[in-house]
Amino acid sequence: MIRRKLLWLLAATFGVVAAYAAPVEARTLDDIIKSGVIKVGVNPTLPPLGKFNEKNEIVGFDVDYATEIAKILGVKLEVVQVGSPDRIPFVASGKIDFVMGAMTRNPERAKVVDFTLPVHTEVFGVLTTEAKPYKDWKELDSDAITLVQVRGTTPIKFIADNLPKAKVTQLDNYPDAIRALAQGRGDAMIDVVDFVGEHMNKHKDIKWKILKDKPVDVYFCGLGVAKSSTGLKDWLNVAIFELARRGKTDEMWLKWFEIPMLYPTGVGPGF
Amino acid sequence: MSYTLQYAQIWPYLPTLAAGALLSLQIAFFAFCGGLLIGTAGAAALSFGGGIVRRLVRAYVTFFTNTPQLVQIYFLYFALPDAGFLLSSYAAVLIGMTLNAGAYLTDIQRAGFESVRASEMEAAEVLGFTRLQRIRYVILPHVARVLFPPLSNQYILMTLGTSMAAIFGVEELTGRALNINAQTFRSIEVFSVAAAFYVLITLAATAALGLLGRVMFRAKMRLV
Repeated sequence: MIRRKLLWLLAATFGVVAAYAAPVEARTLDDIIKSGVIKVGVNPTLPPLGKFNEKNEIVGFDVDYATEIAKILGVKLEVVQVGSPDRIPFVASGKIDFVMGAMTRNPERAKVVDFTLPVHTEVFGVLTTEAKPYKDWKELDSDAITLVQVRGTTPIKFIADNLPKAKVTQLDNYPDAIRALAQGRGDAMIDVVDFVGEHMNKHKDIKWKILKDKPVDVYFCGLGVAKSSTGLKDWLNVAIFELARRGKTDEMWLKWFEIPMLYPTGVGPGF
Repeated sequence: MSYTLQYAQIWPYLPTLAAGALLSLQIAFFAFCGGLLIGTAGAAALSFGGGIVRRLVRAYVTFFTNTPQLVQIYFLYFALPDAGFLLSSYAAVLIGMTLNAGAYLTDIQRAGFESVRASEMEAAEVLGFTRLQRIRYVILPHVARVLFPPLSNQYILMTLGTSMAAIFGVEELTGRALNINAQTFRSIEVFSVAAAFYVLITLAATAALGLLGRVMFRAKMRLV
């Protein structure tokens, strides 16, 4: 009797799990072309990649880029709002066809989703001014150096681990931190430098310098697609190369980031 | 939905938070002392000063008590450098809080100055006291006693007000709590511990002020 109940319970449990885990098929390239719509995940909390405009629509580099992709494919674009924690499940479950939003390629993520060729890079590096002599981020490990950083961001931990001697002034947000740097309250800032172009350009009299030759790290960001959608990924790679070759990618980048992409993706005709 | 409180994750940071609490107390103390000096001078000016001086002091009080302290410090920290004055984080916060406190304390002390009976002042005048001597020997002892409770309140308010210093890069209690929160994501734990530190430092300040009041004025002050 008890054994039978147990069996039922077991069966019910597995049934529930199976129902949840049932693979929701990601759409193939043919499915997308047939439906006439490509669904793209954009994270609106990463300006200028994605943000809400005054009409509460999602705009940004990612939206422009996805629009170009849709145009080449000859389908309509549907932008789906995603956040950092749910974006990969959205792709894996086929709710969206690919995801954007600074999808840095790394082996951990690549176990769950596939990555296309890199669309853009992000340089984790040093922003300073021409007046300062530094050439390498490692020179900043000195108690004569004050780094201006944004409170609560990840570079704080990096500095504590790698530049323990440097003094750190932590301010509330990026505009404040860049202004403090412009006003001479510190010597440098370590962060993803691409994202501060908009704020840098507000201080036109300052001769900014980005330590490009010795970046701390460079992240390559591609489009994230479902593991099963090889055909879609192959097509996207061709489109990404094409947009880069025609200079479209750089054009969109400059429009939204207000500085050229700091580190080229290096995507060539042979991929 | 259940969240397991993990205070053990916060214990290693207690010394950091305690040092931040001390810095908060220190900023409040210096700003209050500076504000008290400005306030005494301001109240004296309002009571004895000429028309122009009175108008200037009134303008100062009106401006600083009717604009947010945050905006005042923002001005000192971010606007002054464009005019060539670069104040450090600590200096900007301290000067901002002192000027703000000075305005409130001018207002509080003016009330105290006015509460001195006219007959006492006349008696002092008859005895040949100069104006400064009248302030020093007649008004201030009187004012100190009457104004002790509102001044203590102002001090507590200022201690709590130091939390905005974090915005300008001063690593006081709130700033450190924000940092630890960013590292551990233990928001409930970090901020409840920070709140406990604020209660601790304000209670300590209240007790110290109460004791001071008892000794100085034999006033019946609540200790806590």
